[in-house]
Amino acid sequence: MVLAVITVINALVMSSMYILVALGFAFLFSIMGTLNFAHGVIYMVSGYICYQFAVGYGLNQWVSLLLSVIIVGAFGLFLEKYCFRPFFGDLNRTIVVCIAIILILETTVNITVGTQVRSLPAFVPGVLRAGIVSISAEKLITFIIGGVLLAAIIWFIRNTKAGQQMQAISQNLKGAVLQGISIHRISALACVLACGLAAVAGCLMGAILSLSPFMGGHMLLKALELVILGGIGSIGGIFFAGLLIGTLDATLPLFISGAASEAVALGVIVAVLLFRPQGLFGLEVEM
Amino acid sequence: MIEKRLSVRGGRKLIEPATYAGVIIFLCLVPLFIKSPYYLHIFILVFIYIIASASLRTITISGQFPLAHAAFMGVGGYTSAVLAKELGWSLFLTIPLGALMAMGIGILIGYPFARLRSLYYALGSLFFGIGMVQVFLVFNKWTCAYQGLTGMPPLFASVSKVPYYYFFLGLTLLCLLALHRFEFCRIGTSLKAINQSYMAASSVGINEAWYRILAVGVGCFFVGLAGATYAHYNLALSYTSFDMLATLWIVLYVLIGGIDSFAGPIIGTAILVLLPEFARELKAFVPYVSAGMLLIVVFVMPKGLVSLPGLIKSRLSERKRGKRIAHVSGN
Repeated sequence: MVLAVITVINALVMSSMYILVALGFAFLFSIMGTLNFAHGVIYMVSGYICYQFAVGYGLNQWVSLLLSVIIVGAFGLFLEKYCFRPFFGDLNRTIVVCIAIILILETTVNITVGTQVRSLPAFVPGVLRAGIVSISAEKLITFIIGGVLLAAIIWFIRNTKAGQQMQAISQNLKGAVLQGISIHRISALACVLACGLAAVAGCLMGAILSLSPFMGGHMLLKALELVILGGIGSIGGIFFAGLLIGTLDATLPLFISGAASEAVALGVIVAVLLFRPQGLFGLEVEM
Repeated sequence: MIEKRLSVRGGRKLIEPATYAGVIIFLCLVPLFIKSPYYLHIFILVFIYIIASASLRTITISGQFPLAHAAFMGVGGYTSAVLAKELGWSLFLTIPLGALMAMGIGILIGYPFARLRSLYYALGSLFFGIGMVQVFLVFNKWTCAYQGLTGMPPLFASVSKVPYYYFFLGLTLLCLLALHRFEFCRIGTSLKAINQSYMAASSVGINEAWYRILAVGVGCFFVGLAGATYAHYNLALSYTSFDMLATLWIVLYVLIGGIDSFAGPIIGTAILVLLPEFARELKAFVPYVSAGMLLIVVFVMPKGLVSLPGLIKSRLSERKRGKRIAHVSGN
């Protein structure tokens, strides 16, 4: 019984972690159609920037998070203009550029900071207990922030003018241009938001898990899984996909080994992809 | 394209075969000059990855973009190594079995995947590749994936790398010949037809699904062969050589070299593997060199390194004639 409750809490926490990381990636993929493979390293670098401000310069945790978001968001502007805009629609060359960015950023972190694993001090220290189960306040805050950001993004896309312009672009690019929507400005905004979301995820996760130059790869994979399962063109689908993957990742290792549970989770995703390529909630796509 | 390709002068026809013969002769003579086993090892790696990237490109002809290639290399490698180590079968049996196992798995998943269009096929195969690596870890009892598989019999009972060098040179040439024949015979033409317009191809009677599965099977066979021979050369297999990053590197070799031409993967592999070796003194800064190379190619040469001679020629003739030639950028 206790195990069941702990597993449910674990599943919810893992789901929120994955959703938080996947938000920025899904945003860019659904709106711009760009597979941002560099999402993992951006997530990693923002964690390190926050570490530098919080531990190196001794600023407040939350201020460091804000600074990290601002810096990484500005980097998103540069990323969009020079790396994504020239290769809009060309997946091959986007992959090449993203791998180049991954190499450059990972090597920079390796050289300047070093490869030993560090850990960000917790944003909200302490552990909450309710009877027999306990959860660290850190994970609870991540859960809450993840949910709030998801809702905020969905509200932004549905209710603000810029969000609706993004929807228009993703539905029909030429039609949007004919309506006078500035593609460059909107896609720059989307990239800044996506990088900012990655930054928030990186800082929060840096406190829960530890910081290492290679932590981006695993999370990029989870983000990809969530986006494919949730569906292209749907941000809300991330929510249900995140719940599914988080539950699988929390419950399966209890019965089979870690690697086997990863294999099963991937098998589920491949199966969904085969029978419903547009994901659970994606827009209809012609086969 | 408005470049002048109308007149092929007589001497031109001999340039290509002469270049290839020259390169092959040069490669045969390399071990006479380079005695260091480390550099021979680098050459052998280049040969193995040339087979892998050329077979990836063969699958790409049909319009599918598989992102699981290194995992199939692992299938071939682990199958051959485990069979030879645990059951003691001869290498003449296990290496082809490794290649056939990779081909079998490729066909098995190629069948349901054949219905997916480009992007979804790519993502689906990406996940399948990662899942395959997890399966290697699940069967840890046989594959010793976590600590590294050792103890498989070597190809040659010699300490020196020279026999391995010639073996892999010969194997690579044979595989490239086979893939070249495959691409330029009727089957290859049908694959290109499917890539350009599957509806028109189907209307002429080309069974799209059958040809796509065939392309995947052939590509996976050769990469499985590369993996199996690599296992018995390296005598140690680690699952990190077959994960998503390894697949992405093989894809990079093909993209940087040029996906549209047969020589593309060969040049791409050679440059991207040898470049970090030449820059080895920089130690920690070596990835910057690779990243720089990637950025230069992707911005300046969209069609890959094979297009470089053509680009230089057209720039020079632009200057000579003083007119601007419109570059029609195709796909």
